[in-house]
Amino acid sequence: MFDNLLLGLMAALQWKQFLFMILGTVIGLWVGVLPGIGGPVTMAIMIPFTFAMDPLSALLMLASVSVGAAFGGSVTSILLNIPGEASSAATAYDGYPMAQQGKARVAMGLSAGASMVAGLVGVLILMFVSGPVAKVALAFSPAEYFALAILGLTVVSVAAIGSTLKGLAMGALGIAISLIGVDSILGVERYTFNSVYLLDGISFVPVMVGLFAITELTSMIIEGGTVAKSGKLEGSLWDGFWDTFRYPFALTQSTLLGAFIGVIPGLGATAANFLAYGVAMRTSKHPERFGKGAPEGVIAPEASNNSCIPTGLIPALTLGIPGGATAAILLVAVTVQGLRPGPMLFTSNPQLIWGFYMGLFVGCIMATILYLIMIPWFAMITLVRIELMAPMLLIITLFGAYASDRNVMDVFVAIGFGLFGYFARRHGYPLISLVIGLILGKLAEGSFHQALQISDHDYSVFVLRPLSATIFAVCLILILWPGVKRRLGKGGAEST
Amino acid sequence: MQATRTRTDSRVTNYWREEFALAAVLLVLFGAIVAFGIGLPFDARLFPLIIGAAGIALCMLIGWEELRRRGATAPSDVVAEDDPAANATWPRFVTALLSAPVFGLVFWLFGFFVASLAAMFVMPPLMGYTNRRMMVVVGLATVAVLAAFFPYLVGVDLPHGVVVDWLIDQLKSH
Repeated sequence: MFDNLLLGLMAALQWKQFLFMILGTVIGLWVGVLPGIGGPVTMAIMIPFTFAMDPLSALLMLASVSVGAAFGGSVTSILLNIPGEASSAATAYDGYPMAQQGKARVAMGLSAGASMVAGLVGVLILMFVSGPVAKVALAFSPAEYFALAILGLTVVSVAAIGSTLKGLAMGALGIAISLIGVDSILGVERYTFNSVYLLDGISFVPVMVGLFAITELTSMIIEGGTVAKSGKLEGSLWDGFWDTFRYPFALTQSTLLGAFIGVIPGLGATAANFLAYGVAMRTSKHPERFGKGAPEGVIAPEASNNSCIPTGLIPALTLGIPGGATAAILLVAVTVQGLRPGPMLFTSNPQLIWGFYMGLFVGCIMATILYLIMIPWFAMITLVRIELMAPMLLIITLFGAYASDRNVMDVFVAIGFGLFGYFARRHGYPLISLVIGLILGKLAEGSFHQALQISDHDYSVFVLRPLSATIFAVCLILILWPGVKRRLGKGGAEST
Repeated sequence: MQATRTRTDSRVTNYWREEFALAAVLLVLFGAIVAFGIGLPFDARLFPLIIGAAGIALCMLIGWEELRRRGATAPSDVVAEDDPAANATWPRFVTALLSAPVFGLVFWLFGFFVASLAAMFVMPPLMGYTNRRMMVVVGLATVAVLAAFFPYLVGVDLPHGVVVDWLIDQLKSH
C-alpha cells in the first residue's frame, strides 16, 4: 500500500501533471462561477484536447476541472444567490444571507475549509475503501433505489423552510416534470403534445437557471441597492476558513453523507448538497438559525458535494459502472486512451491509478489555494449597484441556459421557471423540493418499475426486503416525527 | 391613519390573491397530469396517476390550511411593513417581472448583440439609475467582453436571431 502511495505521489508531482492540474482547476473554478455551464459540460468539451496527452495527464486535467467547478460553484451561490453549479444550490440558503450581512468573505472561507477537508476525506475513502464500498452499492436492488429516492424527497420536504405540505407539493411537481418525454419502460410518449423539444424531457440546466438565477434576479431588481446591504465587507476570509473547524459534527456528518451518496449511482453531488443541508438542519441544536446565515448551513452542503465527487468515481474505476456524468466522462477519457476500465486496471496500471488518486489529493489542496487567492476579488461584486449588475447577470444566465443545448426554447423554459419560482418562493414554497423531485423522479420511477418486474408485480417487494423496509420506516418517522414531537411537548406541558 | 390602513389592506388582499392563485395553478397542473395520463398504457400511467393524485390532494390541503390561516393571522404577519415586493414602485416591479421575458423574445428574434445591448441600456434607467456615462461604458464593455469570450469559453456561436437569419438568407438568395 505504502509503495503504491509513493508511486502515485511521484507520478502526480511531475511538473507536467502539475501544470495540467493547475490548468484544469483554473478552468473549473471559472466555469463553476458561470451559471448553466457545469463541470461535466466543460469536461466533455475538453475531451478532444486529451487525445494527444498521456493517460495520467488527461485524467488529472479532467478531474481537476470537476474539482475546480465544485469549488467555483459556491462563489455565485454565496455572493449572488445564483448557483454556478447545480451541486452548489443549497449553499445559497445560508451563504447568501451571510453575504447580505457583509460576511461574504467569511462564508467563502467556510466554503473553502469545508470543501478542502471533505475533498481530502473523499479521496482517502476512494483510495482505501473503494473495493468494499462498491460491493455494498452493488447489493442495492431497484426496491432500495426507489426507497432511497423517496427518502431523499422526504428529507428535503420535511426539512425545507416553510410548510411541509408545500414542500411535498413542490416535490410532487418536480417528479411530474421529470415524467415529461419518452417513458423509459415502454417507450411511450408522455405529455409531449407532439413537440420535438419535449421528447427528451425538460432539460435540467434551464430549470436550475430559471428557479435559482432568474428568481433571484427578479427579487434583486425589486429590492435594488447592493447585495451587501451595509455597503461594506466585514470579517476576513481566514475567520471563515478556521471557523469551519468549530463545527466538527456538521463537517463530519456531511462529509460522510456526501461520500456515501457519491458511491450510489444516479444520486450525485446535487442530491448530496440538498440532503446534507436538510440533515444538518434537522440535527442542529439551533435549526431556527438556518436560512438566516448559519455557518453550518454553508459547511454542510459544501462538505457533502465535495466528498461526493471522489467517491462517485468508486463504481466507475473499480467496476466500470459510471455513477454520474463526471464519472462517465472520465471513463470515456480512459477508453479513448486505449485502456479498459474495471478491476484489471488496478493490476495492469497501478502507477496510473495511484497517480490519479494522489493527483486528486494534491488537486484538492491546489484548488483551495487558488480559490483563497481569488476570493477577495470575487467578494467585491457584492458592493456593485444592482442596477448595473442585474442586466449583466441576465445576459450571462440566459446565455448559459441557451448554451447547454444550443436551443432557444431552453431560454424560455428558464424564464418560465424563473417567474414561477419568484412567486412560489414569496409564498413559502421551497424550490429545493422541486429540484430534488426533478433529479430523483426518473430514478424513482425506473427503479419502481424494475422492482415490480423482478418481483413479478408483487408490490410487497418494497416492504419485505429488509433494507428497503428500513428506509421506508425512516421516511415515515421523518414525516410523523414533527407531529409526535408537538403532541409530546403539549402532553409534557399539560402534565407540568 | 386611514390611508395607511387602506394600503395595508390592499397589500394583504393582493398577497392572499397570489397565494390562492398559486395553489390553483398547481391544482390545474396536477389535474392535467392525471387527465392526460389516463389514456396511457398501464405501466406508463401508473406513476403519473399516483403523483398527480397526490399533488391534487396536497393542493387541496394547502388551500384548506391557507383558508384557516387567513382567518387567524394578523395582517402585519402576512405582509411585513418593509416587504420590498409590496413597496416597490410600479416601473421597478414591471422591470423585474418583464425584463427576462422581453430579453428572451429579443434574443430569439434579433440575437445576442441586440438583446444584450438593449438589456444593458434600457434596464438601468427603468430601475432609476441616473449615471448615463457609467451605464454606457459598463454596457459596451460587458457586451464586448462577453461576445469575445463566450464562443471560446463555451464552444457556442453567438445566435443571430431568427429575423437576422432570415435577412441573411434573403440577401444570399439575391
